[in-house]
Amino acid sequence: MYKTKKLWTPLSTVVRRALPTTCHLTPYSPNSQIRSSSSRLETSSRVSLSLHYGHDFLGNLKFSAKSFCSQSAAKVDATTKRCWNCDAVAAGMAPFLYCDSCRSIQPVDFSVDYFQIFGLEKKYEIEVDGLEGKYKDWQKKLHPDLVHSKSEKEREYAAEQSARVIDAYRTLSKPLARAIYILRLEGVLVDEEQTVSDPELLTEIMEIREAVEEAMDSQALNQIQSQMKEKLEGSSSSFANAYRSRNFDEAVTCIQKMTYYQRANEEILKKL
Amino acid sequence: MAEPAYTVASDGETTGEEKSSSSFPEIAIGVDIGTSQCSVAVWNGSQVELLKNTRNQKLMRSYVTFKDEIPSGGVSNQLSHEHELFSGAAIFNMKRLVGRVDTDPVVHASKNLPFLVQTLDIGVRPFIAALVNNVWRSTTPEEVLAIFLVELRVMAEVQLKRPIRNVVLSIPVSFSRFQLTRIQRACAMAGLHVLRLMPEPTAVALLYAQQQQQMIHDNMGSGSEKIALIFNMGAGYCDLAVTATAGGVAQIKALAGSATGGEDLLQNMMRHLLPDSENLFLGHGINEIKLMGLLRVATQDAIHKLSSQDNVQIDVDLGNGSRICKVVNREEFEEVNRNIFEKCESLIIQCLHDAKVEVDDLTDVIVVGGCSYIPKIRDLVKHVCKIEVYKGMNPLEAAVCGAALEGAVASGISDPFGSLDLLTIQATPLGIGIRANGNRFVPIIPRNTTMPARKELIFTTVNDNQTEVLIVVYEGETEKAEENHLLGYFKIMGIPPVPKGVPEINVCMDIDASNVLRVLAGVILPGSQQPAVPVMEVRMPTVDDGHGWCAEALHRSYGSTLDLVTVQKKI
Repeated sequence: MYKTKKLWTPLSTVVRRALPTTCHLTPYSPNSQIRSSSSRLETSSRVSLSLHYGHDFLGNLKFSAKSFCSQSAAKVDATTKRCWNCDAVAAGMAPFLYCDSCRSIQPVDFSVDYFQIFGLEKKYEIEVDGLEGKYKDWQKKLHPDLVHSKSEKEREYAAEQSARVIDAYRTLSKPLARAIYILRLEGVLVDEEQTVSDPELLTEIMEIREAVEEAMDSQALNQIQSQMKEKLEGSSSSFANAYRSRNFDEAVTCIQKMTYYQRANEEILKKL
Repeated sequence: MAEPAYTVASDGETTGEEKSSSSFPEIAIGVDIGTSQCSVAVWNGSQVELLKNTRNQKLMRSYVTFKDEIPSGGVSNQLSHEHELFSGAAIFNMKRLVGRVDTDPVVHASKNLPFLVQTLDIGVRPFIAALVNNVWRSTTPEEVLAIFLVELRVMAEVQLKRPIRNVVLSIPVSFSRFQLTRIQRACAMAGLHVLRLMPEPTAVALLYAQQQQQMIHDNMGSGSEKIALIFNMGAGYCDLAVTATAGGVAQIKALAGSATGGEDLLQNMMRHLLPDSENLFLGHGINEIKLMGLLRVATQDAIHKLSSQDNVQIDVDLGNGSRICKVVNREEFEEVNRNIFEKCESLIIQCLHDAKVEVDDLTDVIVVGGCSYIPKIRDLVKHVCKIEVYKGMNPLEAAVCGAALEGAVASGISDPFGSLDLLTIQATPLGIGIRANGNRFVPIIPRNTTMPARKELIFTTVNDNQTEVLIVVYEGETEKAEENHLLGYFKIMGIPPVPKGVPEINVCMDIDASNVLRVLAGVILPGSQQPAVPVMEVRMPTVDDGHGWCAEALHRSYGSTLDLVTVQKKI
């Protein structure tokens, strides 16, 4: 089977809204995946809004490991940030997406990662309950609905910032998406195309698939579903351990497992 | 691939694009054009105020009468008697007809209204006419709405002493994007610019968010997130939303809606009282119109009374020697309309399910709209949600107040006391997708996706050497493609001849911050990094009036020669 996901990024880049005016993409060049720039990550992760369709999600995350390492290493130096509009210096530790002195929305700064947006330490296990409030706080400052009367430039910033915060929220609030994202920040690429080599996992997948297909009633499906949930939680905590001990190979395996359990869950939901 | 990617765009009238407004912010007014009643509200600098017409009414009947040379609407016109509305000269219930084709069941249900709704049942727009001096004078729903909007605009301009241009309109959840373009057209005809079209329950959600904020200011409420179900049922539509509110932000978790309303309750009751009424009325003779008007007034009156009393005496002389004299009790009314109440209940369950909210999670349940006075409606909402109905809102004014708040917020107005420190984060009311896998509707942006949104899916060809594919864009929820709302169609041409299943056809849908929908489609062949043909970018909807037969014609002309299928994901 040929790869089904090469078009993702190129097509997305066609939409003008997606493109920060300043970024230069080379989406059609085969090398671009290696020379992946921060803006490219942005475009890819924007597409990953379609987390829903599990199959395309992982495919969007192809970019170079190196660029991420360097990126996350480059700490945001808030003190040197100035508002494009009033030239005020960004204050405090919060990421500078919005100028408090003149209330204007700042252009997207790709060096700010999703954890920083939510004022979180970069770790896998986070308090998901707190995300929604922070997400709403940002939207109250950044949402495009609030800048109708402002310049076209700022409206564009609003559209981009707001979409990025939506992305950040969705990514961080879902364990699998969060796991993939945090590995990405470490420069570890999770490739969906990579065939499952672990025979144990392979057997398990086959068994789950058969069980789902053969399930006669909703009771049986519910039972498999709760099994999947348990397994998901299990691999989620193994991921946390692997990530903490920086065993990224193990972490990738956990992600693979989580992906399969999640897909099985989706299949069950479809049948229910 | 030296050719530039080209763009196909629909004409400008369907846009939601906002022009950069002048330096001084004009506060947009909120308008609620209901099926039966309408109202206008505006932020007056400290709170939302409903505007009144010269007869001191805040709620005005939504109708236009063509009795005289110049048509006049319910804002300025004074009816001498309710019966005047049912003489055939007045057009009303336009919100049920706008943007619908003549195969639509909602249009068919309008055929026994006193004015003329004629259908040819082929998918063109219905013929609508008012009876003026024994002549059927044709009009359109857009025209009627525009006449009405002009009256509302003039009323607001006189009172606010300034020209009005920007409006926020509340609309039913179930309106398709095509219907939205018709509303925008009516507004344009009335010289109004639509700043925002807001599903009605989301306007109520914004008002709720403001009230919750207010309570925190007054140290009466907690700042924690509140989840509310909003049930809004008027004469024409039943609309629901689940909203999660915190800090003045209303995040719409799910929407549900149906063209089910008080008009259906009324018609069921009329059929109950006079079983052959529909056939009797098909010819639209002068006497039948009069008879139907009498029956309508009597039935309407009886339904209103049944909200406060257990039974009602109906006594109506139909003038042709027959007379209906009957006592109707509340149980009878509820039995006659059982399917409608069941529909309402299923909408509540669906909306909660889509929002992934359990009944126990609900902080409040808000019931608004004209039908909220019906005891059965309140009972069934209470029964499903297991909590008492929220009391802080005027059921008939909630939607327009919410629209006015949105008008102020979207106009960039801020309030020193923070009363406008509000935001609604909208979700898509209907799924948007394309026809694929035979005659299936494959959603690409599912219902209840946070806006702005962008999603993509990959499809492929079904025939060997298929050089063209037809992308037919629909909006809706039904699995059969043609049962959804058609938004438009276009072809991708010039696909290199390869075996079926080889080309990757990526269809991307994008809804931007102005709620403009763009569909992008590109083709890639395996092993290549470049699109095989220029990517298509199409702004939707592209269909115009009378589009109902388009899908059928396309099918007849092309069969499955231009079909596509989804690329299956691996489990």
